[in-house]
Amino acid sequence: MKKLMLSLSSLMLAAGLAGCGDESSGGTSGEVKEDGAKEDITLRVAWWGGQPRHDYTMKVIEMYEEANPHVNIEAEFANWDDYWKKLAPMAAANQLPDIIQMDTAYLSQYGEKGQLEDLTSYTKDGTINVDNIDETTLAGGNIGDKMYGFNLGSNVLSVITNDDMLKEAGVELNEENWTWDDFEKAAIDVQKATGKYGTNPMNPPDVFFPYYLRTQGERFYNEDGTGLAYKDDQLFVDFFERQVRLIKAKAFPTPDVSAQIKGLEDDFIVKGEAAMTWNYSNQYLGFAQLTDAPLTINLPPEQTENKALFLRPSMFFSVPKSSEHKEEAAKFIDFWTNDVEANKLIKGDRGVPVSSEILEALKPELSEDEVKIFEYVERASQNASPADPPDPLGSAEVMKALKDISDQILFEKITPEEGAKKFREQADEILSRNG
Amino acid sequence: MKLRPSGDNLAGYAFISPFIIGFLAFTIIPMVVSLYLSFTNYDLFSTPQWVGLGNYIEMFTGDEKYWTTIKVTFTYVLAGVPLRLTFALIVAMLLNRASRMVGIYRTLFYLPSIIGGSVAVAIMWRNIFGNEGTINQLLFFMGIDQKIYWYQEPTSALWTLILLSVWQFGSSMLIFLAGLKNISPEYYEAASVDGANPFQKFFKITLPLLSPIIFFNLVMQTISAFMTFTPAYIISKGEGGPLDGTLLYSLYLFQKAFNFFQMGYASAMAWVMLLIVGILTLILFKTSKYWVHYESKEG
Repeated sequence: MKKLMLSLSSLMLAAGLAGCGDESSGGTSGEVKEDGAKEDITLRVAWWGGQPRHDYTMKVIEMYEEANPHVNIEAEFANWDDYWKKLAPMAAANQLPDIIQMDTAYLSQYGEKGQLEDLTSYTKDGTINVDNIDETTLAGGNIGDKMYGFNLGSNVLSVITNDDMLKEAGVELNEENWTWDDFEKAAIDVQKATGKYGTNPMNPPDVFFPYYLRTQGERFYNEDGTGLAYKDDQLFVDFFERQVRLIKAKAFPTPDVSAQIKGLEDDFIVKGEAAMTWNYSNQYLGFAQLTDAPLTINLPPEQTENKALFLRPSMFFSVPKSSEHKEEAAKFIDFWTNDVEANKLIKGDRGVPVSSEILEALKPELSEDEVKIFEYVERASQNASPADPPDPLGSAEVMKALKDISDQILFEKITPEEGAKKFREQADEILSRNG
Repeated sequence: MKLRPSGDNLAGYAFISPFIIGFLAFTIIPMVVSLYLSFTNYDLFSTPQWVGLGNYIEMFTGDEKYWTTIKVTFTYVLAGVPLRLTFALIVAMLLNRASRMVGIYRTLFYLPSIIGGSVAVAIMWRNIFGNEGTINQLLFFMGIDQKIYWYQEPTSALWTLILLSVWQFGSSMLIFLAGLKNISPEYYEAASVDGANPFQKFFKITLPLLSPIIFFNLVMQTISAFMTFTPAYIISKGEGGPLDGTLLYSLYLFQKAFNFFQMGYASAMAWVMLLIVGILTLILFKTSKYWVHYESKEG
């Protein structure tokens, strides 16, 4: 009770002080007491992830608290599913944590509904130092000209291969210029030689179908997020027909088989049940640690011609409008992005760091597998084009519709043609509500 | 106005206030709010927008999946509840025979209902019927090297859920057992004297005298079956798959509310669910006079 009263009164005090600051100094760095000591504040930081991420994030937080004794940080973390289920009610109650880890799938949901603060002013005035960060990388968290998310790292799509299995099947990949047909043939060859799957399922389809569209010079969502960008349903048909062919050849698992994967330890590539696996580059580390066979991380097929690859912001830090310590939150983001010691703990877990200076400083610290990821992202970025804008409102529903229809096609309940038509109808209906 | 009685009243209200406050805060007010929300578009972030009957109209005319989930839920209830009750009655009758170990058996049979609704059991169930799961292993040891992919077909996936619900027959069983103990042995003795066989005894004595208990169990189990959520959520990892085969009503409602942020639509779904369950219960009550026999009326 005492503690509650204390925190309540300190909150009110802080709110009052912030109010005064606004009036007198026009919102520059206020909150300085007369004796020069800074007002004690509490920042709430929230993220999703697994245990290793929780562990090192807590360590980074401790480092920050040591360097900034006036800041006390409360951590709130959960796994991906629970995280979003907790965040929504907090937003409704105007009680979002001061720093929230954000994903492209939800950035529009929170940003366009007025929940998030535009961070541009903090990058402009140097509160968050962005000198060593590429413009396009930063813009990954923009909706329009407002920066609702601060990009924490980059991932790139990749095809990770089990070299032993490929060798057994006599498959040689040329990552620079292999085609979708080469991919299909490789998968079938592996199946014939080893009896295992050639590839993991390209699941979820909302990641890999848009990539396929990019290789064909098309996009998934249109610019303003009010509909699908690609006009030709034949693209949809081609993408899924290939998967149906692979399933018939037993080179590609059906959805029920993939639904039984419970975690990284269970994955097809880890258990030696598939020779290729489609994933984001940061997942290579986990796979490499768990798999006995030697793995290689490759560029996916047909990325060259249309510059299909892109640096995907792995995640963002966002600051809600309701936060009472926005500037302190921005300072924490600055520390997270630019502090070398902190990044020695973070490494590549939240994607390859965005700051080139950090990247250089980290290199001697990295393990062999981590170096492979960093090099891969560098290699991919040389021929990458800008990422698609953050998913529009309603994308969660579109993604679910695509997954449902993909399942129906792969279980052969409907044809790819029927699926293409059905998906377009449903997606148009969902997205038109935004218009 | 007399002082004393009002003082008594005050004390009385003070004593029931914990319940009243809880009832208002956690039941009545949320229900009223949800009724209001069911006529709005509400995404948790912006203020609700009044859409009148829009959500209800969309539900019945525009939402293909809604009908899938109705079908799945009715299959689950119509198959699961009778099976569970039959099973519970059979076990109760076995346990009703005096036996030395009956206390232990009763506990053992009741156990699944205590733990059955839990997350751990749902996870266990998923593994039992998994492609590499216990059932397929057993088949393998019995020399059948043909795996059954339970979660590949929507129907078989739903049946694993129904089996899980049947397995949690304990609470109905206990109530049946109490009912069976209440039937006077004199009826059976008289029937034996008249030369009735066990089947005749069951259909002419046990069932009619047990019918109020059966009725009670039927109503309670039907209501709770409609509200089943946890096993479907865990076993299908929140998806309701394969191909929406295990998309129970409350799971779809949950998806709408917390995955797609359509709180208004989800509220409307909840109210329709209340109506469906209410109407079904009413029908059960109406038909009860044709098959439920209360001893007191007869005697």
